[in-house]
Amino acid sequence: MRKRTYIFSLWFLGVIAGLPFAQTPQHFYNIDSERQVEGTIQEIVMEPRYKDSAPFLVLILEEKGTHLVYNVEVSPAWFFEQDFHKGEGLTVIGSFYTTDGKKMNIIAREVRFKGETLVLRDKHGFPNWQGGQTGEKGRRRGKGIKKF
Amino acid sequence: MKKKNYLLFFCLPVVGFVVIFFAFSSLNRSYIKKKVEGLVEEQLRATAEILKVNFSHFLGEDYEADKVFDLYTNEENIYYMALFNESREILSWKSRFEGYLPISKESMQMQGSWIINSPAGKIFNSFSSFTLPEGETYYLYLGYSLNDLQEMMAHSRRNFYLIFGLIIVVGIVFSVGLYQLQIHYMDKKSELEEEKKEKERYREISALTSGVAHEIKNPLNSLSLLFELLTKKGPSSDSETIVSGRKEVAKISRIVDQFSSSLKPIELSKDAFPLEGEIKSVQESLKKIATEKGVDIQYLQDSSVTLFADRVLLSQAIHNIVKNAIEASEGGDVDITVKKVRKKVFISVKNSGRGMDEEEKTRVFEPFYSKKKGGMGIGLYLTKKIVEAHGGDLDLVSSAQNGTTFTIRIPGG
Repeated sequence: MRKRTYIFSLWFLGVIAGLPFAQTPQHFYNIDSERQVEGTIQEIVMEPRYKDSAPFLVLILEEKGTHLVYNVEVSPAWFFEQDFHKGEGLTVIGSFYTTDGKKMNIIAREVRFKGETLVLRDKHGFPNWQGGQTGEKGRRRGKGIKKF
Repeated sequence: MKKKNYLLFFCLPVVGFVVIFFAFSSLNRSYIKKKVEGLVEEQLRATAEILKVNFSHFLGEDYEADKVFDLYTNEENIYYMALFNESREILSWKSRFEGYLPISKESMQMQGSWIINSPAGKIFNSFSSFTLPEGETYYLYLGYSLNDLQEMMAHSRRNFYLIFGLIIVVGIVFSVGLYQLQIHYMDKKSELEEEKKEKERYREISALTSGVAHEIKNPLNSLSLLFELLTKKGPSSDSETIVSGRKEVAKISRIVDQFSSSLKPIELSKDAFPLEGEIKSVQESLKKIATEKGVDIQYLQDSSVTLFADRVLLSQAIHNIVKNAIEASEGGDVDITVKKVRKKVFISVKNSGRGMDEEEKTRVFEPFYSKKKGGMGIGLYLTKKIVEAHGGDLDLVSSAQNGTTFTIRIPGG
């Protein structure tokens, strides 16, 4: 399954190489706009999100009850080891912002999925894939995973 | 004072010094850290002011905020920066870490500067306003890395612990050394005191016994003369009793003589002589006793040795030891070995006898201690005195399996 994800990632890299990255003034981890959304995965895509950064795993999530659709920015694809599938349910905690006045986005800090909590950023939004003071990228992979 | 108290006496100053050093250094480091942090903050505030002036200039020239940010891409210490309008709505931002811009409404209200901890280290944050000449007000949010400062602090901390560790090690070595020296000094002192007391006691006993010996000697001389007269003029029927009595008087006289000589202080009359000759003469003089006991005296010498010593006394000392070795043997060999090591001569006499028990080993050099039938216990005592008068010592090693070895060690050769 991991191999399939890898091939999929390469394909996406090729497709999206020429696309502009989607950074807007509001596209930062705003600690004042945190919210929790529970829903079902509608689609899984990879998109360039930040300048000079690897493609990000983005989930199109339909909120349970309200049926509102969110673009959930998870993490760079290389950092994420879990397999998501369409139709699976999950809960996201993250910073919310809108683009074009109507498109709803969430930068994920925690993803709760199949009984596990995947910690992607700290409470101020610092990305875990950056490794911290040692500067060793990816060393913190999986560190934040906890069972509940 | 007990040993434990001595240890405390030497350890406490070191412990005190270490504690004072630790306290002083900690306070000092904390003061310097505060000062340096203050200086860095001031410097960063000044940098923020410069950046605001630059921003003001570029924005006044209708540059886009993104373009202005791009000018600072190479500034490694700037982790993130953001521009806000008068209503504190974000206009543009840039961060080294994807989406990381740790500002909240609360911190925007505060303005000024603050430090936050992040996985990338401490970050100095500054949020302040500036106004363009046209009157528009903006807010600039900056995050500077304090890693250089942290590295410096870590370096200082490492050095502190290194020096602290060194001081502890040196302190321990120093106090243990002093303690050992003191213990050694105290042991020597008590040894000397013991020796002094012993000498005093010996002097008193010597004076007393010399007097007694002298008092006994006079009537003994009269008694000896009386027996001589009786030998010549006494009845022939009592001649056997008279001879026996004369022998007993002579025996008492000999004992008193030996007794007196053992109490006299030894005065050396030194000259140079080959040791080999003296040992051979001892060997010769004891040949008869050795033959009677079935003992063979072996003499081994690795090189010829000339000694500067009192020939008569040293011969007497060797004679005593060899005689003792023969008397304690039941056949077998008595080996006399002479060795010269550096500036010392070792004369060892070894027998293959039954060895000595622990009590005998500790008491054998005491005067008048003897386990031999008819022995007075003067020989080894005198031998030890003679050897010590030459600045040497007399050692004893004895076991049931290997017999007994006496070793005279004297300087010279």
